[in-house]
Amino acid sequence: MKQHLTRDLLALMAVLFAGVAMAEATIEIKPFERGSWQAILQAHAGRPTLVHFWGVTCGPCKVELPELGQFAKSHPGVDVVMIDADLVPNTPAAVRAMVSQAGLASAENWAFGDTFTERLRYEVDPKWQGDIPRSVLIGKDGSVRTIEGSAASADLEKWAQGQGAGRH
Amino acid sequence: MKQTFMNKWIAAAALLLCQSPASAHDMHRPTAESGCTGVALSCATKVTPAFGPDGKLWIAMLAGGKVAVAASTDGGRNFTKPVAVTDQKLDMDWGPDARPKIVIDKHGDLIVAFSTFRDKAFNGEVFTTRSTDGGQTFTPIRPITSNNVSQRFEALALDTDGTVFAAWLDKRNRAPAKKKGEAYDGAGLFFATSRNGVAYSQAQLVHNNTCECCRLGVAFAGHGRPVVIFRNIFEGGVRDHAITTFSDPDTPGPIHRVSNDDWKISACPHQGPSLSIAPTGTYHATWYTNGKNRQGLFYARSLDGGATFSKPVPIGDPAHNPSRAFVLATARGTYLAWKEFDGEKTTVRMMQSSDDGETWSEPKTVAETADSSDHPLLVSFGRAVFLSWMTKKDGYRFQPVGQGT
Repeated sequence: MKQHLTRDLLALMAVLFAGVAMAEATIEIKPFERGSWQAILQAHAGRPTLVHFWGVTCGPCKVELPELGQFAKSHPGVDVVMIDADLVPNTPAAVRAMVSQAGLASAENWAFGDTFTERLRYEVDPKWQGDIPRSVLIGKDGSVRTIEGSAASADLEKWAQGQGAGRH
Repeated sequence: MKQTFMNKWIAAAALLLCQSPASAHDMHRPTAESGCTGVALSCATKVTPAFGPDGKLWIAMLAGGKVAVAASTDGGRNFTKPVAVTDQKLDMDWGPDARPKIVIDKHGDLIVAFSTFRDKAFNGEVFTTRSTDGGQTFTPIRPITSNNVSQRFEALALDTDGTVFAAWLDKRNRAPAKKKGEAYDGAGLFFATSRNGVAYSQAQLVHNNTCECCRLGVAFAGHGRPVVIFRNIFEGGVRDHAITTFSDPDTPGPIHRVSNDDWKISACPHQGPSLSIAPTGTYHATWYTNGKNRQGLFYARSLDGGATFSKPVPIGDPAHNPSRAFVLATARGTYLAWKEFDGEKTTVRMMQSSDDGETWSEPKTVAETADSSDHPLLVSFGRAVFLSWMTKKDGYRFQPVGQGT
Protein backbone atom coordinates (compact mmCIF):
# COMPACT_ATOMS: atom_id res chain seq x y z
CA MET A 1 0.00 0.00 0.00
CA LYS A 2 2.78 2.33 1.05
CA GLN A 3 4.60 1.40 -2.14
CA HIS A 4 1.51 2.28 -4.21
CA LEU A 5 1.15 5.59 -2.47
CA THR A 6 4.77 6.46 -3.17
CA ARG A 7 4.33 5.45 -6.80
CA ASP A 8 1.15 7.51 -7.14
CA LEU A 9 2.81 10.48 -5.49
CA LEU A 10 5.73 10.27 -7.89
CA ALA A 11 3.36 9.98 -10.84
CA LEU A 12 1.40 12.98 -9.62
CA MET A 13 4.58 14.97 -9.26
CA ALA A 14 5.48 14.02 -12.82
CA VAL A 15 2.14 15.37 -14.00
CA LEU A 16 2.56 18.59 -12.06
CA PHE A 17 6.08 19.01 -13.39
CA ALA A 18 4.88 18.27 -16.89
CA GLY A 19 2.07 20.76 -16.37
CA VAL A 20 4.55 23.50 -15.52
CA ALA A 21 6.62 22.54 -18.56
CA MET A 22 3.47 22.68 -20.68
CA ALA A 23 2.52 26.08 -19.32
CA GLU A 24 6.01 27.36 -20.04
CA ALA A 25 5.99 25.89 -23.53
CA THR A 26 2.90 27.90 -24.43
CA ILE A 27 4.53 31.24 -23.56
CA GLU A 28 4.84 33.15 -26.76
CA ILE A 29 8.29 34.59 -27.37
CA LYS A 30 8.21 36.90 -30.36
CA PRO A 31 11.39 37.33 -32.39
CA PHE A 32 12.72 40.88 -31.99
CA GLU A 33 13.94 41.79 -35.44
CA ARG A 34 14.51 44.80 -37.60
CA GLY A 35 11.53 47.14 -37.17
CA SER A 36 10.26 45.41 -34.01
CA TRP A 37 11.16 48.38 -31.83
CA GLN A 38 9.02 50.77 -33.86
CA ALA A 39 6.22 48.19 -33.88
CA ILE A 40 6.34 48.02 -30.07
CA LEU A 41 6.32 51.81 -29.75
CA GLN A 42 3.32 52.06 -32.06
CA ALA A 43 1.43 49.23 -30.39
CA HIS A 44 1.74 50.83 -26.96
CA ALA A 45 1.45 54.48 -27.97
CA GLY A 46 -0.57 56.47 -25.45
CA ARG A 47 -0.11 53.94 -22.64
CA PRO A 48 2.57 53.94 -19.95
CA THR A 49 4.93 51.17 -20.98
CA LEU A 50 7.84 49.57 -19.20
CA VAL A 51 10.20 47.88 -21.66
CA HIS A 52 12.79 45.73 -19.97
CA PHE A 53 15.87 44.29 -21.68
CA TRP A 54 17.31 41.29 -19.91
CA GLY A 55 19.10 37.98 -20.49
CA VAL A 56 19.25 34.46 -19.09
CA THR A 57 23.01 34.74 -18.43
CA CYS A 58 22.77 38.15 -16.75
CA GLY A 59 23.30 37.88 -12.99
CA PRO A 60 21.49 41.07 -11.92
CA CYS A 61 18.56 40.09 -14.16
CA LYS A 62 17.94 36.97 -12.09
CA VAL A 63 17.34 39.18 -9.08
CA GLU A 64 15.36 41.83 -10.90
CA LEU A 65 12.99 39.69 -12.95
CA PRO A 66 10.82 38.48 -10.03
CA GLU A 67 10.59 42.11 -8.84
CA LEU A 68 9.32 43.09 -12.27
CA GLY A 69 6.87 40.21 -12.10
CA GLN A 70 5.47 41.71 -8.90
CA PHE A 71 5.43 45.15 -10.49
CA ALA A 72 3.48 43.87 -13.50
CA LYS A 73 0.96 42.15 -11.24
CA SER A 74 0.38 45.22 -9.07
CA HIS A 75 0.36 47.74 -11.93
CA PRO A 76 -2.26 46.63 -14.45
CA GLY A 77 -2.26 50.15 -15.87
CA VAL A 78 1.32 49.75 -17.11
CA ASP A 79 2.11 47.67 -20.19
CA VAL A 80 5.11 45.48 -19.43
CA VAL A 81 7.22 44.40 -22.40
CA MET A 82 10.11 42.01 -21.80
CA ILE A 83 12.87 41.69 -24.41
CA ASP A 84 15.61 39.08 -24.07
CA ALA A 85 18.70 40.85 -25.40
CA ASP A 86 21.27 38.48 -23.98
CA LEU A 87 24.71 38.68 -25.51
CA VAL A 88 24.99 34.93 -25.21
CA PRO A 89 22.45 32.95 -27.26
CA ASN A 90 19.64 31.74 -24.99
CA THR A 91 17.57 28.64 -25.59
CA PRO A 92 13.82 29.29 -25.89
CA ALA A 93 13.24 26.85 -23.02
CA ALA A 94 15.54 28.83 -20.71
CA VAL A 95 13.83 32.11 -21.64
CA ARG A 96 10.39 30.65 -21.02
CA ALA A 97 11.44 29.12 -17.71
CA MET A 98 12.81 32.43 -16.43
CA VAL A 99 9.82 34.57 -17.38
CA SER A 100 7.48 31.92 -16.05
CA GLN A 101 9.25 31.66 -12.70
CA ALA A 102 9.34 35.46 -12.43
CA GLY A 103 5.58 35.72 -12.92
CA LEU A 104 5.99 37.36 -16.30
CA ALA A 105 4.48 34.62 -18.47
CA SER A 106 1.54 36.83 -19.38
CA ALA A 107 3.69 39.86 -20.16
CA GLU A 108 4.55 40.62 -23.77
CA ASN A 109 7.73 38.63 -24.32
CA TRP A 110 10.28 39.07 -27.07
CA ALA A 111 13.79 37.81 -27.74
CA PHE A 112 16.48 39.09 -30.09
CA GLY A 113 15.96 37.11 -33.28
CA ASP A 114 18.82 38.37 -35.42
CA THR A 115 22.55 37.91 -34.89
CA PHE A 116 23.21 41.43 -36.18
CA THR A 117 22.56 42.71 -32.69
CA GLU A 118 24.29 46.05 -33.27
CA ARG A 119 21.49 46.98 -35.64
CA LEU A 120 18.77 45.85 -33.25
CA ARG A 121 20.25 47.84 -30.40
CA TYR A 122 20.83 50.87 -32.62
CA GLU A 123 17.12 51.03 -33.37
CA VAL A 124 16.39 51.15 -29.64
CA ASP A 125 19.17 53.56 -28.69
CA PRO A 126 22.16 54.35 -30.93
CA LYS A 127 24.39 54.66 -27.87
CA TRP A 128 23.43 51.34 -26.28
CA GLN A 129 26.36 48.91 -26.39
CA GLY A 130 24.51 45.90 -25.09
CA ASP A 131 24.76 46.09 -21.30
CA ILE A 132 21.80 44.51 -19.54
CA PRO A 133 19.60 44.80 -17.53
CA ARG A 134 18.19 47.98 -19.00
CA SER A 135 14.72 49.47 -18.68
CA VAL A 136 13.04 51.99 -20.94
CA LEU A 137 10.10 53.83 -19.40
CA ILE A 138 7.79 55.22 -22.05
CA GLY A 139 5.21 57.69 -20.83
CA LYS A 140 1.70 58.23 -22.11
CA ASP A 141 3.00 61.32 -23.85
CA GLY A 142 5.79 59.38 -25.55
CA SER A 143 8.48 60.63 -23.18
CA VAL A 144 11.32 58.13 -22.84
CA ARG A 145 13.55 57.55 -19.85
CA THR A 146 16.25 54.88 -19.81
CA ILE A 147 17.48 53.18 -16.66
CA GLU A 148 20.85 51.46 -17.03
CA GLY A 149 21.32 48.44 -14.81
CA SER A 150 18.78 47.22 -12.29
CA ALA A 151 15.86 49.58 -11.72
CA ALA A 152 14.94 50.49 -8.15
CA SER A 153 11.36 49.47 -7.28
CA ALA A 154 10.72 52.87 -5.68
CA ASP A 155 11.85 54.55 -8.87
CA LEU A 156 9.46 52.49 -10.97
CA GLU A 157 6.61 53.16 -8.55
CA LYS A 158 7.23 56.90 -8.68
CA TRP A 159 7.20 56.84 -12.48
CA ALA A 160 4.03 54.73 -12.56
CA GLN A 161 2.28 57.11 -10.19
CA GLY A 162 3.35 60.02 -12.37
CA GLN A 163 1.62 58.22 -15.21
CA GLY A 164 -1.55 57.77 -13.19
CA ALA A 165 -0.93 54.04 -13.11
CA GLY A 166 0.33 53.46 -9.58
CA ARG A 167 0.07 50.32 -7.50
CA HIS A 168 -3.34 48.62 -7.30
CA MET B 1 -7.76 -2.41 -11.72
CA LYS B 2 -8.85 1.10 -11.07
CA GLN B 3 -5.46 1.93 -9.73
CA THR B 4 -3.74 0.49 -12.81
CA PHE B 5 -6.00 2.54 -15.08
CA MET B 6 -5.22 5.65 -13.00
CA ASN B 7 -1.52 5.04 -13.25
CA LYS B 8 -1.75 4.53 -17.02
CA TRP B 9 -3.70 7.76 -17.37
CA ILE B 10 -1.21 9.66 -15.26
CA ALA B 11 1.68 8.28 -17.28
CA ALA B 12 -0.06 9.12 -20.57
CA ALA B 13 -0.88 12.63 -19.38
CA ALA B 14 2.67 13.18 -18.23
CA LEU B 15 4.01 12.02 -21.59
CA LEU B 16 1.61 14.24 -23.47
CA LEU B 17 2.36 17.28 -21.36
CA CYS B 18 6.09 16.77 -21.59
CA GLN B 19 5.96 17.05 -25.37
CA SER B 20 6.47 20.63 -26.48
CA PRO B 21 4.16 21.97 -29.10
CA ALA B 22 5.59 23.01 -32.42
CA SER B 23 7.83 25.91 -31.59
CA ALA B 24 6.29 28.34 -34.03
CA HIS B 25 7.44 31.26 -31.96
CA ASP B 26 10.93 30.08 -31.14
CA MET B 27 13.44 32.78 -31.73
CA HIS B 28 16.00 32.31 -34.42
CA ARG B 29 19.24 30.79 -33.31
CA PRO B 30 22.55 32.28 -34.37
CA THR B 31 24.01 30.67 -37.46
CA ALA B 32 27.11 29.47 -35.72
CA GLU B 33 25.01 27.75 -33.11
CA SER B 34 22.42 26.11 -35.31
CA GLY B 35 23.02 26.22 -39.06
CA CYS B 36 26.75 26.45 -39.52
CA THR B 37 28.06 23.36 -37.79
CA GLY B 38 31.32 22.83 -39.62
CA VAL B 39 34.72 23.33 -38.08
CA ALA B 40 35.54 25.75 -40.87
CA LEU B 41 36.77 29.32 -40.97
CA SER B 42 33.61 30.34 -42.81
CA CYS B 43 31.59 29.17 -39.78
CA ALA B 44 33.76 30.98 -37.23
CA THR B 45 32.33 33.67 -34.99
CA LYS B 46 35.57 34.47 -33.17
CA VAL B 47 39.06 34.42 -34.63
CA THR B 48 42.28 35.21 -32.75
CA PRO B 49 45.57 35.61 -34.66
CA ALA B 50 49.19 35.05 -33.59
CA PHE B 51 52.43 34.90 -35.53
CA GLY B 52 54.96 32.17 -34.98
CA PRO B 53 58.66 33.00 -34.82
CA ASP B 54 59.01 31.86 -38.44
CA GLY B 55 56.39 34.34 -39.66
CA LYS B 56 53.69 31.71 -40.09
CA LEU B 57 50.29 33.13 -39.21
CA TRP B 58 48.17 31.03 -36.86
CA ILE B 59 44.56 31.59 -35.98
CA ALA B 60 42.51 30.07 -33.19
CA MET B 61 38.81 30.08 -34.01
CA LEU B 62 35.48 29.29 -32.47
CA ALA B 63 33.57 27.48 -35.21
CA GLY B 64 30.85 24.88 -35.26
CA GLY B 65 30.93 24.68 -31.48
CA LYS B 66 34.64 23.79 -31.45
CA VAL B 67 37.92 25.54 -30.89
CA ALA B 68 40.20 24.92 -33.85
CA VAL B 69 43.43 26.24 -35.28
CA ALA B 70 44.61 26.87 -38.83
CA ALA B 71 47.73 28.36 -40.37
CA SER B 72 48.60 30.57 -43.29
CA THR B 73 51.94 31.06 -45.00
CA ASP B 74 50.71 33.65 -47.48
CA GLY B 75 49.70 36.50 -45.22
CA GLY B 76 46.21 35.27 -44.44
CA ARG B 77 44.99 34.67 -48.00
CA ASN B 78 44.77 30.91 -47.60
CA PHE B 79 44.57 28.77 -44.50
CA THR B 80 45.17 25.11 -43.78
CA LYS B 81 42.19 22.94 -42.92
CA PRO B 82 41.22 23.76 -39.32
CA VAL B 83 42.14 21.20 -36.68
CA ALA B 84 39.93 21.01 -33.61
CA VAL B 85 41.95 21.04 -30.39
CA THR B 86 39.63 18.46 -28.86
CA ASP B 87 36.86 16.13 -29.99
CA GLN B 88 35.06 16.53 -26.67
CA LYS B 89 31.58 18.00 -26.93
CA LEU B 90 31.73 21.19 -24.90
CA ASP B 91 29.41 24.14 -24.38
CA MET B 92 31.65 26.98 -25.49
CA ASP B 93 31.56 30.36 -23.82
CA TRP B 94 29.70 32.53 -26.32
CA GLY B 95 30.05 35.77 -24.34
CA PRO B 96 30.87 38.82 -26.48
CA ASP B 97 34.25 39.23 -24.83
CA ALA B 98 35.11 35.51 -24.82
CA ARG B 99 37.39 34.09 -27.52
CA PRO B 100 39.96 31.33 -27.88
CA LYS B 101 43.50 32.44 -27.07
CA ILE B 102 46.68 31.36 -28.82
CA VAL B 103 50.35 32.11 -28.29
CA ILE B 104 53.26 30.58 -30.17
CA ASP B 105 56.52 29.92 -28.34
CA LYS B 106 60.04 30.20 -29.76
CA HIS B 107 59.97 26.55 -30.87
CA GLY B 108 56.82 27.17 -32.88
CA ASP B 109 54.66 25.18 -30.45
CA LEU B 110 51.06 26.31 -30.11
CA ILE B 111 49.61 27.09 -26.70
CA VAL B 112 45.83 27.45 -26.68
CA ALA B 113 43.33 28.35 -23.98
CA PHE B 114 39.56 28.74 -24.12
CA SER B 115 36.58 28.89 -21.83
CA THR B 116 33.42 26.82 -21.70
CA PHE B 117 30.18 26.91 -19.78
CA ARG B 118 30.38 24.06 -17.29
CA ASP B 119 26.71 24.15 -16.30
CA LYS B 120 23.34 25.69 -17.07
CA ALA B 121 24.03 28.52 -14.62
CA PHE B 122 26.76 29.72 -17.03
CA ASN B 123 29.60 29.04 -14.66
CA GLY B 124 32.74 28.80 -16.72
CA GLU B 125 35.72 26.51 -17.02
CA VAL B 126 38.99 27.42 -18.72
CA PHE B 127 40.88 24.71 -20.57
CA THR B 128 44.40 24.69 -21.97
CA THR B 129 46.20 22.57 -24.51
CA ARG B 130 49.40 22.52 -26.56
CA SER B 131 50.57 21.26 -29.92
CA THR B 132 54.20 20.36 -30.49
CA ASP B 133 53.73 19.06 -34.04
CA GLY B 134 52.70 22.17 -35.88
CA GLY B 135 49.04 22.05 -35.00
CA GLN B 136 48.39 18.51 -36.23
CA THR B 137 47.58 17.09 -32.80
CA PHE B 138 46.95 18.55 -29.36
CA THR B 139 47.49 17.29 -25.84
CA PRO B 140 44.29 16.33 -24.01
CA ILE B 141 42.70 19.52 -22.75
CA ARG B 142 43.21 20.33 -19.06
CA PRO B 143 41.42 22.75 -16.75
CA ILE B 144 43.67 25.70 -15.94
CA THR B 145 42.82 25.24 -12.27
CA SER B 146 41.42 22.38 -10.22
CA ASN B 147 38.88 24.70 -8.61
CA ASN B 148 35.42 23.88 -9.92
CA VAL B 149 33.46 27.07 -9.26
CA SER B 150 33.71 29.37 -12.27
CA GLN B 151 36.51 30.70 -14.44
CA ARG B 152 36.10 32.85 -17.55
CA PHE B 153 37.87 35.50 -19.64
CA GLU B 154 41.32 33.97 -19.62
CA ALA B 155 44.20 35.91 -21.11
CA LEU B 156 47.57 34.50 -22.15
CA ALA B 157 50.92 36.20 -22.63
CA LEU B 158 54.33 34.75 -23.33
CA ASP B 159 57.37 35.95 -21.41
CA THR B 160 60.74 36.21 -23.12
CA ASP B 161 61.97 33.04 -21.39
CA GLY B 162 58.99 31.05 -22.69
CA THR B 163 56.98 31.15 -19.47
CA VAL B 164 53.26 31.37 -20.14
CA PHE B 165 51.41 33.85 -17.96
CA ALA B 166 47.66 33.34 -17.64
CA ALA B 167 45.13 35.57 -15.90
CA TRP B 168 41.38 35.04 -15.63
CA LEU B 169 38.25 36.00 -13.71
CA ASP B 170 37.28 33.49 -11.04
CA LYS B 171 34.27 33.29 -8.75
CA ARG B 172 35.73 30.92 -6.12
CA ASN B 173 35.72 33.57 -3.39
CA ARG B 174 32.04 34.47 -3.69
CA ALA B 175 30.47 31.62 -1.75
CA PRO B 176 32.94 31.68 1.18
CA ALA B 177 32.42 35.44 1.56
CA LYS B 178 28.64 35.09 1.48
CA LYS B 179 28.83 32.24 3.97
CA LYS B 180 30.52 34.65 6.36
CA GLY B 181 27.80 37.19 5.71
CA GLU B 182 30.07 39.45 3.70
CA ALA B 183 29.05 41.12 0.49
CA TYR B 184 30.96 39.99 -2.58
CA ASP B 185 30.35 41.66 -5.91
CA GLY B 186 31.72 40.39 -9.20
CA ALA B 187 34.63 37.99 -9.39
CA GLY B 188 38.31 37.72 -8.50
CA LEU B 189 41.26 38.32 -10.79
CA PHE B 190 43.49 35.24 -10.58
CA PHE B 191 46.72 34.22 -12.29
CA ALA B 192 48.99 31.24 -12.81
CA THR B 193 52.11 30.49 -14.83
CA SER B 194 53.22 27.53 -16.88
CA ARG B 195 56.48 26.29 -18.33
CA ASN B 196 54.77 24.30 -21.06
CA GLY B 197 51.35 25.90 -21.52
CA VAL B 198 49.54 22.80 -20.29
CA ALA B 199 50.23 22.38 -16.57
CA TYR B 200 49.80 25.61 -14.65
CA SER B 201 50.99 26.62 -11.19
CA GLN B 202 48.50 26.93 -8.37
CA ALA B 203 46.08 29.78 -9.02
CA GLN B 204 46.75 32.93 -7.00
CA LEU B 205 44.55 35.89 -6.32
CA VAL B 206 45.46 39.33 -7.62
CA HIS B 207 42.36 41.21 -6.56
CA ASN B 208 38.80 40.54 -5.41
CA ASN B 209 35.65 42.25 -6.68
CA THR B 210 36.40 42.78 -10.33
CA CYS B 211 33.72 43.06 -12.97
CA GLU B 212 32.87 39.48 -13.94
CA CYS B 213 31.97 39.82 -17.62
CA CYS B 214 34.73 41.74 -19.41
CA ARG B 215 37.89 40.65 -21.16
CA LEU B 216 41.28 41.34 -19.60
CA GLY B 217 44.24 43.04 -21.21
CA VAL B 218 47.66 41.49 -20.53
CA ALA B 219 51.15 42.60 -21.60
CA PHE B 220 54.71 42.47 -20.28
CA ALA B 221 56.55 45.48 -18.90
CA GLY B 222 59.76 43.47 -19.12
CA HIS B 223 60.93 39.97 -18.35
CA GLY B 224 59.02 38.55 -15.37
CA ARG B 225 56.77 41.58 -15.07
CA PRO B 226 53.28 40.90 -16.43
CA VAL B 227 50.77 43.71 -16.41
CA VAL B 228 47.01 43.18 -16.26
CA ILE B 229 44.34 45.77 -16.98
CA PHE B 230 40.78 44.94 -15.94
CA ARG B 231 37.39 46.44 -15.26
CA ASN B 232 37.28 46.69 -11.49
CA ILE B 233 34.37 47.27 -9.13
CA PHE B 234 35.32 50.27 -7.05
CA GLU B 235 33.51 51.53 -3.94
CA GLY B 236 29.80 51.98 -4.53
CA GLY B 237 29.57 49.59 -7.49
CA VAL B 238 31.59 51.77 -9.86
CA ARG B 239 32.92 49.66 -12.76
CA ASP B 240 35.99 51.64 -13.82
CA HIS B 241 39.33 50.31 -14.96
CA ALA B 242 42.35 49.34 -12.88
CA ILE B 243 45.81 48.02 -13.63
CA THR B 244 48.51 46.11 -11.80
CA THR B 245 52.15 45.56 -12.70
CA PHE B 246 53.78 42.48 -11.20
CA SER B 247 57.10 43.00 -9.44
CA ASP B 248 58.03 39.42 -10.31
CA PRO B 249 56.08 36.55 -11.91
CA ASP B 250 54.51 35.59 -8.57
CA THR B 251 53.90 39.00 -7.04
CA PRO B 252 51.17 41.34 -8.25
CA GLY B 253 51.87 45.01 -7.62
CA PRO B 254 49.54 47.68 -6.25
CA ILE B 255 46.23 48.30 -7.98
CA HIS B 256 46.11 51.67 -9.74
CA ARG B 257 43.04 53.30 -11.20
CA VAL B 258 43.36 53.97 -14.91
CA SER B 259 40.60 56.54 -15.07
CA ASN B 260 37.93 57.97 -12.82
CA ASP B 261 34.93 57.61 -15.14
CA ASP B 262 32.47 56.98 -12.31
CA TRP B 263 30.41 54.34 -14.12
CA LYS B 264 28.16 53.07 -11.40
CA ILE B 265 26.15 50.26 -12.91
CA SER B 266 24.67 47.06 -11.57
CA ALA B 267 24.94 45.34 -14.92
CA CYS B 268 27.49 43.63 -17.09
CA PRO B 269 29.07 45.96 -19.67
CA HIS B 270 30.50 42.93 -21.56
CA GLN B 271 33.23 45.19 -22.89
CA GLY B 272 36.71 44.92 -21.47
CA PRO B 273 39.86 46.99 -22.00
CA SER B 274 42.94 46.60 -24.18
CA LEU B 275 46.58 47.13 -23.22
CA SER B 276 49.87 47.25 -25.06
CA ILE B 277 53.29 48.23 -23.76
CA ALA B 278 55.74 49.87 -26.14
CA PRO B 279 59.45 49.07 -26.24
CA THR B 280 59.86 52.53 -24.68
CA GLY B 281 58.02 51.26 -21.59
CA THR B 282 54.95 53.43 -22.24
CA TYR B 283 51.66 51.75 -21.29
CA HIS B 284 48.89 52.28 -23.85
CA ALA B 285 45.34 51.56 -22.69
CA THR B 286 41.87 51.78 -24.23
CA TRP B 287 38.48 51.16 -22.68
CA TYR B 288 34.77 51.80 -22.88
CA THR B 289 32.72 53.57 -20.25
CA ASN B 290 29.35 55.17 -19.82
CA GLY B 291 30.25 56.91 -16.58
CA LYS B 292 29.13 60.18 -15.12
CA ASN B 293 32.45 61.80 -15.96
CA ARG B 294 32.79 60.58 -19.54
CA GLN B 295 31.01 58.32 -22.00
CA GLY B 296 32.35 56.37 -24.94
CA LEU B 297 35.69 54.88 -25.98
CA PHE B 298 38.88 56.31 -24.53
CA TYR B 299 42.64 56.09 -24.78
CA ALA B 300 45.25 57.03 -22.20
CA ARG B 301 48.94 56.28 -21.69
CA SER B 302 51.17 55.91 -18.69
CA LEU B 303 54.79 57.02 -18.63
CA ASP B 304 55.41 55.82 -15.07
CA GLY B 305 54.77 52.11 -15.24
CA GLY B 306 51.02 52.28 -14.80
CA ALA B 307 51.00 54.39 -11.63
CA THR B 308 49.25 57.30 -13.34
CA PHE B 309 47.61 57.77 -16.72
CA SER B 310 47.23 60.74 -19.03
CA LYS B 311 43.92 62.53 -19.44
CA PRO B 312 41.59 60.19 -21.35
CA VAL B 313 41.29 61.00 -25.05
CA PRO B 314 37.95 60.15 -26.70
CA ILE B 315 38.15 57.72 -29.64
CA GLY B 316 35.84 57.68 -32.65
CA ASP B 317 32.69 59.44 -33.71
CA PRO B 318 30.28 59.54 -30.75
CA ALA B 319 27.36 59.61 -33.20
CA HIS B 320 28.42 56.20 -34.53
CA ASN B 321 28.62 54.24 -31.33
CA PRO B 322 32.37 53.50 -31.22
CA SER B 323 33.17 50.22 -29.48
CA ARG B 324 35.67 47.38 -29.01
CA ALA B 325 38.89 49.34 -29.21
CA PHE B 326 42.19 47.48 -29.49
CA VAL B 327 45.64 49.05 -29.10
CA LEU B 328 48.97 47.73 -30.36
CA ALA B 329 52.31 49.40 -29.70
CA THR B 330 55.30 48.42 -31.84
CA ALA B 331 58.80 49.83 -32.16
CA ARG B 332 57.59 51.77 -35.19
CA GLY B 333 54.32 53.18 -34.01
CA THR B 334 51.20 52.79 -31.93
CA TYR B 335 47.94 51.71 -33.55
CA LEU B 336 44.33 51.90 -32.46
CA ALA B 337 41.46 50.04 -34.11
CA TRP B 338 37.78 50.08 -33.15
CA LYS B 339 34.31 49.51 -34.54
CA GLU B 340 31.69 52.08 -35.44
CA PHE B 341 28.11 51.50 -36.51
CA ASP B 342 25.95 53.92 -38.49
CA GLY B 343 22.65 52.04 -38.31
CA GLU B 344 23.35 49.97 -41.42
CA LYS B 345 26.97 48.96 -41.53
CA THR B 346 29.85 48.38 -39.17
CA THR B 347 33.21 49.91 -40.00
CA VAL B 348 36.62 49.32 -38.52
CA ARG B 349 38.29 52.66 -37.98
CA MET B 350 41.96 53.15 -37.22
CA MET B 351 44.42 55.82 -36.24
CA GLN B 352 48.09 55.73 -35.46
CA SER B 353 50.67 57.61 -33.45
CA SER B 354 54.33 58.03 -34.30
CA ASP B 355 55.19 59.75 -31.00
CA ASP B 356 54.32 57.04 -28.50
CA GLY B 357 50.68 58.05 -28.10
CA GLU B 358 51.12 61.78 -27.60
CA THR B 359 49.39 62.74 -30.86
CA TRP B 360 47.29 60.69 -33.28
CA SER B 361 46.51 60.70 -36.99
CA GLU B 362 43.03 61.37 -38.29
CA PRO B 363 40.89 58.22 -38.08
CA LYS B 364 40.27 56.34 -41.32
CA THR B 365 38.04 53.44 -42.29
CA VAL B 366 39.98 50.26 -43.10
CA ALA B 367 37.16 47.69 -43.40
CA GLU B 368 33.38 47.44 -43.29
CA THR B 369 30.56 44.90 -43.25
CA ALA B 370 26.76 44.94 -43.14
CA ASP B 371 26.13 42.09 -40.73
CA SER B 372 27.41 40.85 -37.41
CA SER B 373 31.14 40.81 -36.74
CA ASP B 374 33.81 39.90 -34.24
CA HIS B 375 35.93 42.45 -32.41
CA PRO B 376 38.76 43.96 -34.48
CA LEU B 377 42.21 42.81 -33.37
CA LEU B 378 45.70 43.97 -34.33
CA VAL B 379 48.80 41.82 -34.61
CA SER B 380 52.31 42.54 -35.84
CA PHE B 381 55.22 40.69 -37.32
CA GLY B 382 58.44 42.51 -37.89
CA ARG B 383 57.52 46.01 -39.01
CA ALA B 384 54.16 45.04 -40.44
CA VAL B 385 50.88 45.54 -38.57
CA PHE B 386 47.73 43.65 -39.55
CA LEU B 387 44.03 43.90 -38.83
CA SER B 388 42.29 40.62 -37.97
CA TRP B 389 38.50 40.81 -38.25
CA MET B 390 35.96 38.01 -38.62
CA THR B 391 32.69 39.00 -40.25
CA LYS B 392 29.60 36.90 -40.85
CA LYS B 393 28.82 38.22 -44.31
CA ASP B 394 32.25 38.94 -45.73
CA GLY B 395 34.31 36.22 -44.07
CA TYR B 396 37.65 36.57 -42.38
CA ARG B 397 39.73 39.64 -43.10
CA PHE B 398 43.42 39.74 -42.46
CA GLN B 399 44.88 42.83 -43.99
CA PRO B 400 48.01 44.97 -43.60
CA VAL B 401 47.22 48.28 -41.98
CA GLY B 402 50.63 49.73 -41.22
CA GLN B 403 54.33 49.44 -41.84
CA GLY B 404 55.50 51.92 -39.26
CA THR B 405 57.44 55.06 -39.96
